[in-house]
Amino acid sequence: MKSYLALLRGSYMVGLVYRFGFLFSIGGNLIYMSITYFLWRSIYQNRETLRGLTFNETYIYVALGSAVFILLKTYVDWQMSFDIREGMVATYLIKPIDFQLYELFTSLGFFLMSLSAITIPTILLMVFAFRIEIPLGIGLALFPFSLILAYLLSFCFDYFIGLLGFYTESVWGLSITKEIIITVLSGALIPLQFFPEAIQKILLWLPFQAIYYTPLTMVAQSTLGWETFLPMLGVQLFWVIALFALTRLFYNQAIKVLRISGG
Amino acid sequence: MSLIHIENLTKHFKILNRREGLSGAFRDLFSGNYRTVEAVAGISFDIEPGEIVGYIGPNGAGKSTTIKMMTGILKPSGGTLQVNGLVPYDNRIHQAQIMGVVFGQRTQLWWDLPVIESFKILKEIYKVDQKTFDHHMDMFNELVGLKTLYSQQVRTLSLGQRMLCDISASFLHNPQVVFLDEPTIGLDISVKAKIRSVIQELNREHNTTIILTTHDLGDVEALCHRIIIIDKGKILYDGDIKRVHALFGAYRTLKLQIDNFTAATQQTLTGKLTEKFGAEHGITIAETEEFWTDVTIDQARTPLSDVLGFVMSNFAVEDIRIVEISMENVVRKVYDGALA
Repeated sequence: MKSYLALLRGSYMVGLVYRFGFLFSIGGNLIYMSITYFLWRSIYQNRETLRGLTFNETYIYVALGSAVFILLKTYVDWQMSFDIREGMVATYLIKPIDFQLYELFTSLGFFLMSLSAITIPTILLMVFAFRIEIPLGIGLALFPFSLILAYLLSFCFDYFIGLLGFYTESVWGLSITKEIIITVLSGALIPLQFFPEAIQKILLWLPFQAIYYTPLTMVAQSTLGWETFLPMLGVQLFWVIALFALTRLFYNQAIKVLRISGG
Repeated sequence: MSLIHIENLTKHFKILNRREGLSGAFRDLFSGNYRTVEAVAGISFDIEPGEIVGYIGPNGAGKSTTIKMMTGILKPSGGTLQVNGLVPYDNRIHQAQIMGVVFGQRTQLWWDLPVIESFKILKEIYKVDQKTFDHHMDMFNELVGLKTLYSQQVRTLSLGQRMLCDISASFLHNPQVVFLDEPTIGLDISVKAKIRSVIQELNREHNTTIILTTHDLGDVEALCHRIIIIDKGKILYDGDIKRVHALFGAYRTLKLQIDNFTAATQQTLTGKLTEKFGAEHGITIAETEEFWTDVTIDQARTPLSDVLGFVMSNFAVEDIRIVEISMENVVRKVYDGALA
């Protein structure tokens, strides 16, 4: 375990080297938060609730959603594809470490970096600049756990696309497709309540909603109570275990086609 | 028992035959027109603990492929391969603990971080205890002056410094065997010499087995007792370096650029050299690149200075270079039966 923590520490330090990139993200995020604020204000103009959600709940969901979106981007797919193409994978495979965990822990440094540089400032901005009241319920306490599970899920998808790099050499198109599918189907842009009922039912059976809808709901509607949140966490945990196991199995297949340039 | 045991090892790759042009690229998307390339075609050898073995051959001979199989990255297509009694590919994580690897063209250090951080990370990855770590870091400092580089970002190191760091890093966890894949590639003479002496010291310290692939015959001469020459996936020679030394040690190539050089001039040159030094002169002449003529001289039979003096006084020489014999020439000589 200590070796993986060393990887995490290293990748966090790399994150610090690129801290200016994060500063720009904060600026961009601030603009996005302002636009969505006025957009949803006008949508809610003469209404108290929309599909059972108040303006406050929707805005928390959407604004926090944009911060969480940056947070859950692992870039593992891009990094792996690059490493495979350049033959850098060889330098990881000669180390006495698990490949999947190597990728996970080296991505966590950036996760911590964006958590401290983007997510937490966004929440502070929301409360103090936009004067949004975050309801103080049990969901708020469960949010960190849910967020970690969501990150692991997001990692699994990116890792899966990254592994496809062993087959295709370039994962650009696959990566974009994955991004679009997850963004739309996970409720990253709007709460699932805004989808047609039939589609909502389907989406709840898919793993994507566990990435964004679950953690965001825990903050936006934090007073819903244990009986709502515990099953949601359970579903998240189920998908994490399932997708971790599946990508591990897939790794064993993908590594077989490994061919490193040069000979 | 030998540390590395290889018997009849093969590896072939399937490579897509890419067609020409844009339309070809589109057609490649749908049809798989593969050909099989035999990178390693049945090799066998054993390596004992503590040996430094030079594993050499021209480009594309199958050197790196063999290394990648021994390190457990690539799976052999056939044959037996054991390192320390285990199959590397099936026990990758376990085997990695007893191996160190340097790929000359890639670094295993963290590109964006100061040098010392990479060593700290490797310490945890290989579970090196503090005492061993301190001892090794002191040793590296003595050998390559590592301490002065501690706080430098890896990306700002010169190629030579980076290579010295990479080599040190591969010895950090006291491995039983270290693979050095082209450790001197792209370095100038003085840095090469430094790297060779460092490798020698590290080998002596813990009697570490070292397998060295290189293009540079100087590396092999300076470091190895045993040499394995491979070409087109097959072993051409495996044995004492002293016999091979005769092949390249005494040979020098005189590269000449002669004014108004024609086929006729070449014949005159050949004729005059034979006339002057006799039939057994051990000189071969070939035009390798435009304007340059290579005169390869076996110094055991004809002194280089004699040939040089003779050529200078008989031909209008514009430019001149003296080089050690190339890997390709050694391989050609082995094919011609020089070691038979």
